[in-house]
Amino acid sequence: MFSRIWSISIKEFLHLRYDWWLPAFMLFGGVIELLLIGWATSRPITNLPLMILDHDQSASSREIVIALENTGTFQLKSQVYDFQTIEAALERGQINAALIIPPNFGNEMASANGQPTLSVILNGAESIPATTALRTVEGIARDIGEQITIKRIGMKPETLARFNPSLRVWFNESLSEALYSIPAELGLMMEFIILLFAALTFSREKELGTLESLLVMPLTSLEIIIGKSIPVIIIGMLAFGSMLGMVHFVFDVPVRGSLGLLIILAFVYILVELGKGLVISVVSRTQHQAFLLVMLVGMIDFLFTGYAAPVDGMPQILQILANFIPAHHWLEILRGILLKGAGFDVLWINVFVLLILGVVIGTFSLRYVRRSLN
Amino acid sequence: MAYPDSEEVSTDIPSQPIIETHELTRDYKKTRAVDALDLSIQSGELFGLVGPDGAGKTTTLRLLAGLLNITSGSAQVAGYDLASQAEAIKPKIGYMAQEFSLYNELTVVENLGFFADLYDVPRSELSQRMDRLLAFAGLTEFQNRRADKLSGGMQKKLALASTLIHEPDILLLDEPTTGVDPVSRREFWNILTDLHLDGTTILVSTPYMDEADRCSLVGLLYAGKLVTCAEPKQIRAQVEGDLLEIKTDDWQAAHSLIESLPGVLEVQTYGESLHVLVDSADERMPEIQIAIEENGLTCRHARQAPARMEEAFISLIHRMEV
Amino acid sequence: MSIRHVLAITRKEIYHILRDKMTLILVLFTPLFLLLLMAYALTVDLKDIPIAVLDYDRSQTSRAFVHQITAGQDLELYAQVDSMNEVEGLLMRGEVKAVLIIDPAFERDLYALRGLPLQIIIDGTEPESGGFAVDHIGWRAEEYINQVLTDQMQSLGIQIDNLQPIDLRVRAWYNPSLKPRNDLIPGLISMVLGFPALSVALTLAHEREHGTLEQLMATPVTRTELLLGKMIPYIIVGLINVILIPVAAILWFQIPFNGSFPLFFGLSAIFLFAVISMGVLVGVFMPTQASALALSFLVIFFPGFFLTGIFFPIASMPEMIRMESLFLPGTHYAIITRGVFLTGIGIDILWPYTVMLFVLGVSFTAVAALFFRKKLA
Repeated sequence: MFSRIWSISIKEFLHLRYDWWLPAFMLFGGVIELLLIGWATSRPITNLPLMILDHDQSASSREIVIALENTGTFQLKSQVYDFQTIEAALERGQINAALIIPPNFGNEMASANGQPTLSVILNGAESIPATTALRTVEGIARDIGEQITIKRIGMKPETLARFNPSLRVWFNESLSEALYSIPAELGLMMEFIILLFAALTFSREKELGTLESLLVMPLTSLEIIIGKSIPVIIIGMLAFGSMLGMVHFVFDVPVRGSLGLLIILAFVYILVELGKGLVISVVSRTQHQAFLLVMLVGMIDFLFTGYAAPVDGMPQILQILANFIPAHHWLEILRGILLKGAGFDVLWINVFVLLILGVVIGTFSLRYVRRSLN
Repeated sequence: MAYPDSEEVSTDIPSQPIIETHELTRDYKKTRAVDALDLSIQSGELFGLVGPDGAGKTTTLRLLAGLLNITSGSAQVAGYDLASQAEAIKPKIGYMAQEFSLYNELTVVENLGFFADLYDVPRSELSQRMDRLLAFAGLTEFQNRRADKLSGGMQKKLALASTLIHEPDILLLDEPTTGVDPVSRREFWNILTDLHLDGTTILVSTPYMDEADRCSLVGLLYAGKLVTCAEPKQIRAQVEGDLLEIKTDDWQAAHSLIESLPGVLEVQTYGESLHVLVDSADERMPEIQIAIEENGLTCRHARQAPARMEEAFISLIHRMEV
Repeated sequence: MSIRHVLAITRKEIYHILRDKMTLILVLFTPLFLLLLMAYALTVDLKDIPIAVLDYDRSQTSRAFVHQITAGQDLELYAQVDSMNEVEGLLMRGEVKAVLIIDPAFERDLYALRGLPLQIIIDGTEPESGGFAVDHIGWRAEEYINQVLTDQMQSLGIQIDNLQPIDLRVRAWYNPSLKPRNDLIPGLISMVLGFPALSVALTLAHEREHGTLEQLMATPVTRTELLLGKMIPYIIVGLINVILIPVAAILWFQIPFNGSFPLFFGLSAIFLFAVISMGVLVGVFMPTQASALALSFLVIFFPGFFLTGIFFPIASMPEMIRMESLFLPGTHYAIITRGVFLTGIGIDILWPYTVMLFVLGVSFTAVAALFFRKKLA
C-alpha cells in the first residue's frame, strides 16, 4: 500500500514540474508576499498629515506645535491662515487632522485661572489613523495641562507624575504593530496556500478529464487521497517553515515558546485545512468553482483571526461561531507560542478543539471524497 | 454542396500554387518537428498529409494556419507571406484542430454563430448559410443541443461546419476523423469530396492510410521530412514487391513460418489472414504454399492482392530507415 | 477594432458563466455576502473587556476605586487575585486583557497627596482590547484622582477648579462617532469588488487548458478584441454588485451615503475596468488556471487587501510601498468610495483618482495585448 501511495505522490510531484508556477508561488510567493505586507503594515502609525491654524502665534502655541511634531505621529503638512483651506483639505482627504489654536491661547495659558482651549478636527473617513491621532493629541494636551497645574498649585513635577498609573506591556513590550499583525498575516497566508493547493487537486483532474484514468488504476480511493495529499503537506510545511524563519529574522518576531510544539501543531493545522480543501476539491466541478469556494471560506475564516478587528468586539453569535473555525484556534496557538511563550498547559484547550475539528472535518472529508471517487 | 453565392470556379489552372513552402522548418527545444518542407499545392487540390504519429503533420498544419512561429524557411498561403502576413491569411482559411476545441456549453447554433461573427459573415446571409451547413453536416435536428452532449462524430462535423461558415478558399483539417465511428467517417469524407468538387482547396492530415486513397495528391511525412508527394496511384506503384493474401488454419504458426522464408519482405496479420510482401508473387506464392503444407498446416486461401497505400508507405519508410 | 468581434466573445463568455449555476451564484454573490458578513462582524463594540485586579492595599479607598473602574459597561471585573502568579496565568491564557495592580500604599499616598500608586499591565498581543482597557482605566482613574485631589486641595485651601486646564474640543468629521465600521465598509467594498478580477485571470488560462484557444487564434479576431471581450462580462458582474452592495450597506447597516449614486456607479465602472484589466494581464502570462490563480492571489488579491490603505494608512507605509500602492486600482478606489459614502464629495475633487484609474486600466490592457501573442509557440 505504501509503495502505491508513494507512486501517486511521485506522479503529483512530476506534474508539478510542468506546472511549476503553482508550487513556486505557494512556496516563494508566500514568503515574499509576507515580507512585502509585513514591511508595509508593521510600523506604528506615523506621518499623518496635519494642518495647523494658529490664530495666536505665541510661544505657547508654538510649543504645542513642536510637541505634536515630535511625537512622530504627525507630519506637519502646513500652517494655514484660514479655515477654508482646512475644509478643502479634509474634503480631499489630504490630512488626517487639523489643529486650530484660538487667538487668546497664550494668555489663557499664562494666567492663573485661565481656560485655554484647543480645537481638533479629525478626518473621520479614516477612523483608524484618526483614533491614533486623537490619542496623541490627548496625550500632548494632558502633558502640557499637567505642567500648567504644577506651576499653578506649586506641586513638584515628580509628585504629579506619581498620580499617573505606570503602564507595562507584556509579550509585546514595544507594542509593536508588527508583533500583532504579522502572526495573523502569516496564518492567513498559510490557510490560503493550503486551501488553494488542496482544492485544486481533484477539481483540476475532474475538469480536464484525467481523473478517470486515475480511477481505473488498481488503487483504493484512500490511497489516492493520501498520495495526492502528501505534496500539499510537504509544501505546506516548507512554506510555514520559511515564512516563520523569515518573520523571525527580518521582523524580529520572537519564538518564545517551544518550536517543536509549534511545528507539530502547524502540522495538525495543515491537516485540518487540507481536509477542508479536499472537500472543496470534490464538491467543485471546475477549478474556477474550487477557487471561488476557497475565497469564500478563506475570507470567512480570516474574519475570525482577529486581524481586522478583535473577536471580543463581535456580536455574541459570531464569537460563538469563532470557536468552530480552525484558523481562530491556530492563531491563538501561533500568538501564544510566538509571543507569550505559552506552553501546552495553557494552549491545551485550543489544541484540543483543533484536534476535534480536525477529526470531524477529516472524517467527513474522507468519507465524502471516497464516496465521490467511487 | 456548392457555395451558391461564390463566383464561378475558374477553369484555367492558376499558375501560382495556393499553398507553397520553401524549406519550411520548425524546431522545438530538442527536436526538429518539420524539416525543410517543400510543398506546392494548387488551388482545388484535395491534399492528404499522411504519416505516423510524431511525423510533423500537426505542426505543419499549425504553421500554415499561422499558429506557430517559423524557425526558418518561408511559405505563401493564398498569396500572402506566412511570416509577415499571417493575420491576412486567417479570413481565407478554415482550420480544424485535432482536439475538439469548440465550446462545450454553447449549442450547435451558438457555436456556429460565434465563428460566423468572428469571420464577419454578412448578417444577411447568416441564417441561410447556417441552415445549409446544418443540413450538410446532418445536425439540423440537434441544432439546439449543447456541444458537449453530441457524439464524437457529430462534434467533428460541428467543428467542420464551423470552419465552413465563412466559405474559405482553403481548409486545413488536422486528423478530422480520428476517434470517429466508421459510418461517420465515411459521411465526413463524402462531405470533403463534395467540397473538393466545388473547388475548395483542402489539406487534410490523417493517420489512416486508406483515407489517403481518396485524395487527389498525397504527401508522406516522416520525422518531419516530406518523403514523397504524388498521386495515390503513383505511390501505390512505388511498392517494391507484390502483395499476397494468405489464409491458414493457424495464423500464428504460419506467421513465424512464412517470415523465415526467402524472398519474404514482410508479414502482417490481418485478422486471421496474413498479408505477405514478397519480391515476386510468381516465384514465392507456390513456395509459401508448399512450405505451409509441409509443416502440417492447411492453406485455405492464397492469392495476389493489389498493393495498398499502407504497404506502399511501409515499404517507403523501411527504405528511409535503411 | 470590430465591435462585432468583441460582442461575440462577450456573448460566449456570458453564456459560459450563466450556464454553470454554481459558478454563477458564487461569482455574483460572493462579494455581497462577504461584505455583509464583514460589516456585521466588524462592529467592534468593545465592551465588558475582562480585567483582573490585584489589590495589595485592600482599603476602603481601593475598593471604592475598583468599584468605580468596573462600574460601567466597558470593563468587567473578571477576577480579583492575590498574587503575581495568578496574574501571569490569567494573562497567559488570555482570560483577561489587562491587570490592575494596586500598591499597598494606595490609600495613604492618595490622601497625603503623594501620588496614586497604580500599575496597569496589558496583554500586548491584543493591542485593541488592551489599549481599550488602558484608555478606560485611565479615564476612570483620572476622574477619580480629579475628584479626590480637588476635594483634598480645597480642604487644604488651594483653589483649583480643574486638574486638566486645557479644554480639548474634538470633532470628527464625516464619521462623528469614529465608528471604524463606517470607513472600513467603503474600503471593504473596494476590496470585494476586486473579486471578478481574479475570475478573469482564469478565463484565458481556461481556454488554453481546454484547447479552445487554438481554434480562436486561427480566426481573424485581434488580441485586443479578445481581451476586451473577456473583460466585459466580469465588469458587468461587478456592476451588478455595485448596485446591490450600497443598497445593502445603507439599508442594513445604516452606513451613511452622502454622495451621488450615478457618480458612484460611473466611477465604479472605471475602477472595475482597471482592476479587471489587471486580472487579464495575469491571465495572459500564465499557462494553466492553477498558476493563474496563484499569481492573481499574490499580485491582485493580497496587495489589494493590505496595501490599499483600507486597514492601514498609506501615509505610514515605507516610501517604496507607497509608490507601489499607486499602481493598485484599489488604492484610488478606496479613496473614491470613502469620499462618496462618508464625505459626499463630487467629481470636482475625485477627478484625479478617476483619471488614474482610467490610465491604469488602459495601460494594463495595452500591456496585456502587447504580450499576448496569437501563436501557440
